[in-house]
Amino acid sequence: MSTATIHQVEVPQPKQHGKPGGIMRHLNFFTGLISGVVLALVFGYLMNIQFAAGAQTANFSSASANPTFWAMMVGWVLGFMAGMGAFVGPIRWLLGRDLTHEDAEFMAGKGQGKFRYWRFTTDHKVVGIQYLIVAMIILGFGGLLAMLIRTELGFTWMEVFNPDFYNSLVGTHGIAMIIAMIVVVSGPVGNFVVPLMCGARDMAFPRLNALSIWLLVCAVPPLILSLLVGGIRDGWSVYQPLNSQAGPGMIGYQTTIIVFAVSTALASVNIMTTVLTMRAKGMTWSRTPILIYGVFAAAAMGLYAFPFYMYSQILSMTDRLINTSFFNPIEGGSVWLYENLFWLLGHPEVYVILIPSTAVILELIPVFMRKPLFSYYMAIAGIVGVVGLSGLVWAHHMYMTGWAPQANYPFMLSTEMISIPVGFLVLVVIGTMWRGTFWSRLPMMAVFAVIFNKMIGGVTGIYLSDVPADQFFHGNMFVTAHFHYMLMGVALFGAMGGVAYYFPKWTGRYLDERTGSIGFWTAFIGFQLTFGSMFVAGLQGQPRRVLQFDNMFNISNWISTVGAYTIGIGMLIFLAAIMSSWRSGDRAPSNPWQAQTLDWQTATPVPLENFPVLPVVTKLPYDYGVPDPLDPKTLEKEYDEKVGAPT
Amino acid sequence: MADTMIPSEEPEAPSNRPPAMHRLREWLQRRYVRHVLIITVVIGFLLLPLCWLLLAAMNQSGGPASSIMQDIQQTIFVFTLVSIPITSFVFAVLVYSLFGWKGKSGDTPPNNDNPAIRTNAVAVITWTATSSLLAGFLVVWGLVELADITANSYGSTSATGQPKTEDALVVNVTGQQWVWTFQYPQYDKVTSDVLYLPKDRPVLFNVTSLDVVHNFWAVELGIKIDANPGAITQTGVTPNKVGTFNVRCAELCGLHHAYMETKIEVMPDQTFNTFMRESGGGKTS
Repeated sequence: MSTATIHQVEVPQPKQHGKPGGIMRHLNFFTGLISGVVLALVFGYLMNIQFAAGAQTANFSSASANPTFWAMMVGWVLGFMAGMGAFVGPIRWLLGRDLTHEDAEFMAGKGQGKFRYWRFTTDHKVVGIQYLIVAMIILGFGGLLAMLIRTELGFTWMEVFNPDFYNSLVGTHGIAMIIAMIVVVSGPVGNFVVPLMCGARDMAFPRLNALSIWLLVCAVPPLILSLLVGGIRDGWSVYQPLNSQAGPGMIGYQTTIIVFAVSTALASVNIMTTVLTMRAKGMTWSRTPILIYGVFAAAAMGLYAFPFYMYSQILSMTDRLINTSFFNPIEGGSVWLYENLFWLLGHPEVYVILIPSTAVILELIPVFMRKPLFSYYMAIAGIVGVVGLSGLVWAHHMYMTGWAPQANYPFMLSTEMISIPVGFLVLVVIGTMWRGTFWSRLPMMAVFAVIFNKMIGGVTGIYLSDVPADQFFHGNMFVTAHFHYMLMGVALFGAMGGVAYYFPKWTGRYLDERTGSIGFWTAFIGFQLTFGSMFVAGLQGQPRRVLQFDNMFNISNWISTVGAYTIGIGMLIFLAAIMSSWRSGDRAPSNPWQAQTLDWQTATPVPLENFPVLPVVTKLPYDYGVPDPLDPKTLEKEYDEKVGAPT
Repeated sequence: MADTMIPSEEPEAPSNRPPAMHRLREWLQRRYVRHVLIITVVIGFLLLPLCWLLLAAMNQSGGPASSIMQDIQQTIFVFTLVSIPITSFVFAVLVYSLFGWKGKSGDTPPNNDNPAIRTNAVAVITWTATSSLLAGFLVVWGLVELADITANSYGSTSATGQPKTEDALVVNVTGQQWVWTFQYPQYDKVTSDVLYLPKDRPVLFNVTSLDVVHNFWAVELGIKIDANPGAITQTGVTPNKVGTFNVRCAELCGLHHAYMETKIEVMPDQTFNTFMRESGGGKTS
């Protein structure tokens, strides 16, 4: 056993077996894909034999295909993760072969070029970019489904798709977008930027980090495949007992959610530990950038909320497979149990999406206003207030279920209280804008768009939080429009601003302003058309998730469809801007926005361990527009103010 | 040292800070403040018609047909009215930031000569107080309206599940994939797939489902309650307008959810009784 000298102490080092990395040299995404598919087929075949004694057919839409499909899902998850190399670490420990320094460097992707993005790589910067790409792929898929939904609703005189497929579109669009929006900011920003901003060398648990991204990748194919075997016909909330009526595609959904919930929990623990323990020297809680607070809050909320979702889907799955009857009223179960479990996730999850996006906006606005963040402590209070209240409001989704009408009073109270901390965040933004000349670049444009949408989404949210008004709006297109204003208008447009802001750090190049802005504003205009007129449809009384409706709703739906296509075009332009800039954009210096946070103080591309020397923090990073106290001009001005200017 | 710090011997700290009213007046005279406030008022007046436009959109299909729906619309009207000042102020700051304070483009940031406003106690307190007061008002309004609606709809107050008044009409509503069935137990259990209701007579609905969760939404009457399998939920309303209205299912219930809708016929009480007799149901209670 070799040794190394650390702080003048001889420390025994593990012995290197073979080349650095060992078996990890041979494992990557493609081996994962192959072993996942193979194991899925093997498991499916074995389960099929098990059930072949009965009148089992190969028809996937029959309920008896459930066990087979479930076995395939288990096979896929185990096979894919094994093929990726997720189990190599534990097996190493069992064999007593610790990682050497060279092994760890190989795991972090040293000297592997672009191929490290296809591997189980532990470097947080690689994981961040992987998250970004995966989120963009899911967003594209969900966006495509949204176009199909609007196509159906635009042709008001006929059914373009059959109702079954239409319902699957609605459900798959919903859950795909929810997953994508949860990771689109917390993933790339949380993994790439937060450790840099903390002044850390990596995340607290680098291998857990790799595990969380590859679990996410693993969770997506079952969702997409489920469209082929009956689909998720029940909306993203898959209420029971409708859930039990659906085909085996529902197992795809449940697998996705369970795996995704594990991935989110691991990522949350990782981010929280990093923030709690690895901030740079001197970065006290009152010198921590607001983005870190936002991502931390979202991680904490995710850790609280996602287990409920996972349990609800595990129980649904056992209901389906072994008839446990948790949610089946005929056998003594309760549909309200499912609804409670689901919305215990459902509402905090909205803020898991919103808070990181809002925090990105708060982070970039001082940079582009060249002013300090207005009332930093109020921003923290806003984030903490939203997080605190968000766990107490879930039943506002259940005002009209008849579950506990008396509970409507307290839940209405807690829900309307949320407008106060959200208002804090709005004040921070407009306070930072006050009397400032802004730097007119693409990220700053996102601030205007987001605040505009946030006011509309927020005010309409107040109607929905109120039980009497909700008695009209519940289950109505008005709700759809409202949450799209929040989840898309605030979170997605904020994320687009964040992408434009961090693009130079991620890729070393500027995001093309011209193309990017055209795409952004096209999408923005399309967005207002789509969801503005959707409010009208809701007010007129159109229910959600329908594919046919009375003639009185035609005009607003036509406008919505035109708007949706406009969003699609805008998003494609924005995507083109990202792709062309990534390949051949203008080179950016390491700190193109002249920002003061630590993430911009390191070189671009960021070296393997981020900082040559770990930084020390002495102040809050929002000192813009503050004159240098030793500058002669400042001294002169101060003299004029205190003594009086010479006349 | 503490003993040398005797406050009475210290001269009062000189302060050239003008009184509050004076400072407010001075602040209001600033150009940007005036402009922002003017834009706020303009946007406010532009948004004001929304109070009525929202209700007009809601009434396109013939409502409101009950006092509950009137309460709902009143709530929406008040909420719109209350949220207009804050919304238009935020929009005004956005507009003035874009066109008044303006921006500068270019590859390097504009000069660092923006005022370094770290916080402002007056702004923070005013904003917090205003938003808390508005939220408090909305909560109180909502609680009062909810109690009112609950009293009018029997929903949550009837622990016995019995109608409160003698002459109330009971209707058993059953949802199943994908039709609504209405049964009148007081009229020999007459069954219909169109909801016939008398005007000005309280109605109590016992809502349930045979299969999955549906949502019984009588659009213009302003009532909505889930139809759950294995449970009976209650709601009620007193229609006050004769006409044809809509029942829609507001909870995704499978394949033909979109087509799970029917009509409500509200008719005068006399006509209703005659109609029920003709449909085979003499009044039994």
